[in-house]
Amino acid sequence: MSFVAPRRAFIVAALSLIPALALAHGPSRQKVVEKIEIDAPPAKVWAIVGNFGDMGWLPGVAKTEATGGNTPDQGKRKLTLVDGGTIDETLTKYDASAMSLSYRIEHVDVKVLPVNNYSSTITVTPGEGGKSTVEWKGAFYRGFMNNDPPPELSDEAALKAVTDIYKAGLAALKAKAEAK
Amino acid sequence: MKEQVFAAVLAISAVAAPARADEAFVANQTGDDLTIVELSTMTPLATIPIGGKPAGVAVSRDGSRVYVTSPEGHFLSVIDAAARRVAKKIETGGGPLGVAVSPDGSRVYVADMYGGGLIEVDPATEATRRVEIGAMPAGVAATPDGKTLVVAARDDNALVVLDAKSLVRLARIPVGRHPYGVTIDAEGGRVYSANVESDDVSVVDLAERRLVANVPVGSHPYSVALAKGRVFAANQYAESVSVFDARSLKPLATIKVGEYPESVAASRDGAVIYVVNWFSNELWSLDAATLKISAKAATGDGPRAFGAFIRAVN
Repeated sequence: MSFVAPRRAFIVAALSLIPALALAHGPSRQKVVEKIEIDAPPAKVWAIVGNFGDMGWLPGVAKTEATGGNTPDQGKRKLTLVDGGTIDETLTKYDASAMSLSYRIEHVDVKVLPVNNYSSTITVTPGEGGKSTVEWKGAFYRGFMNNDPPPELSDEAALKAVTDIYKAGLAALKAKAEAK
Repeated sequence: MKEQVFAAVLAISAVAAPARADEAFVANQTGDDLTIVELSTMTPLATIPIGGKPAGVAVSRDGSRVYVTSPEGHFLSVIDAAARRVAKKIETGGGPLGVAVSPDGSRVYVADMYGGGLIEVDPATEATRRVEIGAMPAGVAATPDGKTLVVAARDDNALVVLDAKSLVRLARIPVGRHPYGVTIDAEGGRVYSANVESDDVSVVDLAERRLVANVPVGSHPYSVALAKGRVFAANQYAESVSVFDARSLKPLATIKVGEYPESVAASRDGAVIYVVNWFSNELWSLDAATLKISAKAATGDGPRAFGAFIRAVN
């Protein structure tokens, strides 16, 4: 059986190919779901988050440049962050009656946000007593696209970065929507 | 009245104790385990710890063994399906993802996504052979006669056809962009690939080794199932299953399913299609004839079950 090679040789062969695979994503897709209850009517909350062309409610965003409005696949926005980093996003679904929109990141430097293949959905649902619940969920791969990531581009780093954004974003949204 | 009650009790007991129904083996990547779901009642039966972020699943034709890949653990788990336990783990190195079993159960084929190859494993002796495939091999399938293998070389936008015995490459067929799951029909005549980036399914004639058509489906299709002369594609971003006629290639329906569906498979008799929804942690069943959702079952966290995850229980 000359085809039978030692297993170690496979691993060496695999490692030698890593630089050629820079466009691949990691093996394990990650997900984050964050929710918040807001003491404001759903329509008021949706008026803020339902405008894809203005991400000004998210802390850290200095500027939103948008085209295509709230039309799926045509709505595009470029977020410029306070520290100068940029994120290019495309609206992929928009349902005003269900108060839900989905988008994906077309381009971001992993130094700005350590993720790949990021997609996200924000949904506003009516709560009790005229309140609202907002759910923000994301699916993505880590920043490093192969085995053995450095710590800053690991699954944990990606999860922390997205979770922190969602928590801060939802808290800021709550403050804005509840303001008289 | 008494008779009615008796009949009702009989009916309930018949539901509770099905006659050896088929099972789904759903690998939960985030949860690091595997959920076995009894399919006549859509009831979770057991959870088996796996580790290494399991993703790919292949059930042997006789239903005795289930093979699960762990891309981050770099191993293949061999599961004794009846005993519902891991019999052994075989190291593969690289990033094992797609997996298929030869019809006679003597060989397991594992796509090494990072290493760019296909690893043939003899599960009895753990002897391995390897063949180079290309960039990011994803899905793997064997023809029903076991003679031919098809591997999706995802980042080469092509299917690679191999002779199963010699592992010699027979053809490289360009398809849509980023083919992921591959499914071969019962006759071994056609292979279908779900192309994640071009939002279509490639239909390939295996004998002629040529692309027949790229059929548009929903956004980000990951896998394909075949039943009742129909093709079912799970669209991850669209959160739907697209259905088209296998002969005319004309669209039949788009069915809304759970969040981020990835894997689809058909029941043995082709009556039911099972959909694994990665984000919402659910297995859904839909009637392949009426195209209506019939039932839902809870899985573990982040179910992938990429491959042939239905176990026929005889």
